[in-house]
Amino acid sequence: MTATTPLSEEAAALATGPAEHPLHPAHTPTGQLSFGAFFQGVNSSTIWRLPESGDQVAWESFESLVRTAERGVFSAFFLGEGLRLREHRGVPFELDVAGRPDAQTLLAALAGVTENIGLVATQNTTYNDPVDLARRLQTLDLLSGGRAGWNVVTTDNAWTGENFRRGGYLDHADRYLHAEAFVQVAQQIWRGEPVSHDGAHYSVRGQGDLPRSAQGEPVLFQAGASPAGQDFAARTADVIFSPHGTIDSAVEFRRSIVERTVAAGRDPGAVKILPGAEIILAPTEAEAEEKVRWVRDLQIGPEQAIALLEQYWGRDLSGFDPDGPLPDVPPEVAESGVTRGAGFQFAKAEELTRAWREEAAEKGQSILEFARGRAGARRGTFTGSYDQVADRLVEFARLGAIDGLNITPWLIPSGLDDIVDHLIPRLQERGVYPSEYAGTTLRENLGLQPV
Amino acid sequence: MSTTVSSDETTRPGTAPGTAPATEDGALPVLAVDLVTAPSLLGSLASLARGLEEAGVGALTLSDGGLHPIHVAAHLAPLTRAVGLLPRTDAIYVEPFHLATQLMSLDHLSHGRAGWLLQAETDPSAPVAVGREVLGLEATAREAADVLAAARALWDTWAPDAVVRDVERGVYVDASRLQYADVEAETFSVRGPAITPRSPQGLLPVLVADTDRAAVGEEVATSHADGRVLDLDVSPGARAKELGARIAEAIEEGPTGEGDRVRLVRLVGLDLEADPLGTVSQLAAELRARDLISPTPNPRRTLRAQLGLAPAPFQLDPARRADRARLTREESA
Repeated sequence: MTATTPLSEEAAALATGPAEHPLHPAHTPTGQLSFGAFFQGVNSSTIWRLPESGDQVAWESFESLVRTAERGVFSAFFLGEGLRLREHRGVPFELDVAGRPDAQTLLAALAGVTENIGLVATQNTTYNDPVDLARRLQTLDLLSGGRAGWNVVTTDNAWTGENFRRGGYLDHADRYLHAEAFVQVAQQIWRGEPVSHDGAHYSVRGQGDLPRSAQGEPVLFQAGASPAGQDFAARTADVIFSPHGTIDSAVEFRRSIVERTVAAGRDPGAVKILPGAEIILAPTEAEAEEKVRWVRDLQIGPEQAIALLEQYWGRDLSGFDPDGPLPDVPPEVAESGVTRGAGFQFAKAEELTRAWREEAAEKGQSILEFARGRAGARRGTFTGSYDQVADRLVEFARLGAIDGLNITPWLIPSGLDDIVDHLIPRLQERGVYPSEYAGTTLRENLGLQPV
Repeated sequence: MSTTVSSDETTRPGTAPGTAPATEDGALPVLAVDLVTAPSLLGSLASLARGLEEAGVGALTLSDGGLHPIHVAAHLAPLTRAVGLLPRTDAIYVEPFHLATQLMSLDHLSHGRAGWLLQAETDPSAPVAVGREVLGLEATAREAADVLAAARALWDTWAPDAVVRDVERGVYVDASRLQYADVEAETFSVRGPAITPRSPQGLLPVLVADTDRAAVGEEVATSHADGRVLDLDVSPGARAKELGARIAEAIEEGPTGEGDRVRLVRLVGLDLEADPLGTVSQLAAELRARDLISPTPNPRRTLRAQLGLAPAPFQLDPARRADRARLTREESA
């Protein structure tokens, strides 16, 4: 496929305008993709059971992964963060990868062994102080020569707050308001303006005294999934990375973000969309399908399958056979929140568990098969042969549905190898991926306007 | 009651057996140079750090000149080989949980070369930046002791072998080898466990510079810290004989408590914008010839070992075991 090959029927059907603005009259696709490498460091997506599963904390793992990403002209290396260890039924969760170094401390070190790649830290607005966080991010931006990014996240639970001075002080409804005020204080610090903020949650006095970095100030990332989150991102973010696994949902999301960005008084292309994605590749489609099953089985073992159901049943299910049918016992709604630190709602346990039982019975699935289908890797837009995935991504780029992907490797540190060795050269041949860095700053490499 | 899990932490991963153990008492202090983290040094930080390491310096302390000292120390970790890296950073107007996590992360990525120069901020701009009231001297000292205890408790929440990767049982991390910190201090509490596995040294060496002694308080400086930093001002022109006499004098005076044995001798007042390397190299050689500072650092040994501190084994407190909820369920079942 090349830039002049007609779009597939599916993609063409999604376009509502001419090639210059196929999705929205105000939005013009760049036709180019940027990749980020999203090192999650916790949860079941990272396979730890293989001999080649590397150490999750060792410097060598990160150094190796970031070098591969930079060889693949990735725009960003992106680290997650969680401020309390996940717990399951009141005990730290034992079955998934857990424990990682502090994001910014690690990125400050990686800045010393890389030249071009952006370094993005997830940092919480609820359990940080804005002046301190702003200074640390600005330090990272200066140490890296203008390559820092900040993934702005909020937390509202008191359970995480048990690790912090303020405790759980924030109502769910207030979290974006609070985050926005926090970001404004940080930006004032970066710009060297005096800060005198008296908000609902804190009072701050301060003034930044560090010089501007080569990119002005750090790039702001946001997940931007819920309507409130999308609005927050449209007002403040440079990049959104919530996952959109099909072209339909990516197109719909682009339209939503363009509308909201314009409504916020910003340029329609001001917010880049790099959905989170897991990519599974092989030389042929059949091999890729086999590989998806293999990855999924390694991600979700029998113990994790039981634990997944326990989250929703709220009770001990260890007596059930993972190869048998879903438990025929009712959930114990009273014991809600058995896995803390993982996003889930327990509200309609009775309804949900009944629906699951019926779904699994209909499909003839065991507990293990059901859990793998729900939580493990699955066939999709970003799984397939090298050429298939490359061709699909070209269509995303030509429609302007996305500006790139934020890719979670399922193996550390070698999980980006086949993407860099096989997918990226095909994207480069097809003219949708850079063959070298556009510049030395993260803003330049994401195609963002200077501050 | 607590049990001790022994682990070999005097040596860094990959060390050949038979390496000489640390001298625990009577160890000579390590020679350090202070780098001020001014943005004007951005272009020369890496070469300066490497040059000082080449010149025979055993540790670098990072004083706050604008860039965050912990991040600057982290930045220098992969660019250096053997020097200790000790940011001087505030214990008071910070979140103890973040501070502890950042420092133990520095220890991971420097392979056991991290330390902390504990500072207690008294500048009134620090509390207002985080929306807090200025603490008086006594409250500051109590807070410094509390934050230090909290940091150590967090550093000690993962056993060195907590990540078990037991494929047979499907277990990545064994919760019975984790413990909560359960810190309830006067102005804050921290539940834990740490979000970062145990670092190579377990407990980072925590030192107090003479200039910080008044603010952190006598208790922390003499009892809780791991050692004292003796500052030698070399700005008027450094002569090894005089400096040597100062070191000998300080060692002879002896410590007033467990925590203030001289562990680090730090050269301050060097003109870093000029060429300080010749001066440092000559001083290091002369002080070593007089047997007043420790030998050049060995990249295979932790900073604790370089400083003559005993390894810090994991201390499991059964009352704080992270799987206590499961144990309780099993007992009541």
